Amino acid sequence: VAVGVFGIAFGVLAVQAGLAAWLTVVASVVIVSGAAQFALVGLLAAGPGPVLVATTGLALRHLPMSAKLASLVGDHSLRTRVGLDSAWVSGTAVGAFVGKAIDPAALGIDVLFALLFLGLAAPLIRTRRDWLVVGVAVVCAALATLVLPEAWKITGAATVAAFIGTAIRE
Amino acid sequence: VNDLTLILLVAAVTFGSRVVFLARRRSVPEGIVGRFLEVFPLALFIVLATTGLTAPEGVLAVTPALGGAVGGVVGAIVTRRSLVGTILIGAAGYWLARVLAG
Repeated sequence: VAVGVFGIAFGVLAVQAGLAAWLTVVASVVIVSGAAQFALVGLLAAGPGPVLVATTGLALRHLPMSAKLASLVGDHSLRTRVGLDSAWVSGTAVGAFVGKAIDPAALGIDVLFALLFLGLAAPLIRTRRDWLVVGVAVVCAALATLVLPEAWKITGAATVAAFIGTAIRE
Repeated sequence: VNDLTLILLVAAVTFGSRVVFLARRRSVPEGIVGRFLEVFPLALFIVLATTGLTAPEGVLAVTPALGGAVGGVVGAIVTRRSLVGTILIGAAGYWLARVLAG
């Protein structure tokens, strides 16, 4: 149910960001990654370069997790995966077609979108280093707003913050 | 690059990483690369949230969205970093700030 609800949220936000309803559904069918899809929508206005840099960084995070996840890949996870994917795609379809009728300013869609990213970040904060990365990322985001070109301010700030976070010892 | 091509490219990147994961599931990047990949998603999500909440029109500004930021942070702490709790309490903070701002 939760996956379906977030699918609806993705559908609504994607059409509000300017993606055609049918392309929104295609995105959920072929990408099947909530984080990458929300980043795609968030960076859609910035153009293909920033979108691809950000989604590559998100996709490659699967590699460090590979050893931990290896033992979980099996028939059961495949069945679960099919159920989750169905909920995700059908939720997206509902959101994409309902989203056209929503007034974004009245509901504060932009703010809810930003809060969604805050919500996605929250479970990733586990250590003191993670808190430091959060602080660095906030500062980088503010500075990027002032100095970086519009298209690259988000991806650029995230990359710099991640590099600084890489240098921080646990 | 049109939207469909961009979506297909993102799909290729996403599935490419999964194929690498399945083909070399015991190979974990270590050192600087591993640490960078570990912190990049957190940095990206925080930058996206910060930009949307502090500079909704592209420049830093005091708007009701800051109420959402405060609510979101409080929500994350109170609900022990729950995604849904962060969004719901953040939305409540935004709406409260919006009402107070008239």
